Amino acid sequence: MKNRLKVLRAERDWTQGDLAERLDISRQSINAIETGRYDPSLPLAFKIADLFGLAIEEIFFRDQP
Amino acid sequence: MAGQDAIGWRQRPGFYVGMMLASFGAIAGLKLSGAIPAPIGFILLAGAMLWMIPLVRTGMEKQKRCGVLSPAVVRYNRRFMLASFGYMLGLGLAVWLNDRFDLAGVVAFAVALLPVIPTLAMVWTMARYLVEEDDEYLRHRAMIANLVGLGAVLSVGCFYGFLETFELVPHVPGWWAVPIWAIGMGAGQGWMALRNRERAEG
Repeated sequence: MKNRLKVLRAERDWTQGDLAERLDISRQSINAIETGRYDPSLPLAFKIADLFGLAIEEIFFRDQP
Repeated sequence: MAGQDAIGWRQRPGFYVGMMLASFGAIAGLKLSGAIPAPIGFILLAGAMLWMIPLVRTGMEKQKRCGVLSPAVVRYNRRFMLASFGYMLGLGLAVWLNDRFDLAGVVAFAVALLPVIPTLAMVWTMARYLVEEDDEYLRHRAMIANLVGLGAVLSVGCFYGFLETFELVPHVPGWWAVPIWAIGMGAGQGWMALRNRERAEG
């Protein structure tokens, strides 16, 4: 699953550590999600979406649309 | 990362994993070739377990640098190290008692439990970690590492078992499953750490 977490983070000038702290997860988790190595659970995806004030589908995309 | 490059090899957990694996391999080779008797092998194994101390210390320092030292990880590391030492102690004691006394019945059963109880503590430690870890990605990694450990036990055990059936190799006690599981789990974590080597942030 692709996502634009890195872009959204960069727009706010946040480091991975900043985002991790806001979501109360590890920086390694942010790195794994951003690079597509790990797809977050639905609760975490909602948490990320809430933080950015966006819908989940505005952040995460299907591999084959 | 520049910070990572500045870290000496003595601060790298991989070095201690390598030393522990090399020690286990050398001891297993000596034992299987008949160069050393069982008691000496256990003493050497107990000595090799001391690599756990710098391994856990450097591992926790690295986890702290990477921002993944959750309270659950700290508890897991502490519990697992204690259980590992308990296992080696229980194993050595059980074998020593078995070599010197003619154990039978309930006593033999009780002595056999000496290394089993710390093994159950390891299983409990892992279960508690999976329950206590709030970070789903870290939990996912722990589960993958466990599966690699399980795969190592099943594949090595099955392969060696058939070799033993065909009388190509000497008999090896079943308790070797525990160190193989631990080595497999460590290898799984190492493989993921290597694969997930973080890129420098822009």
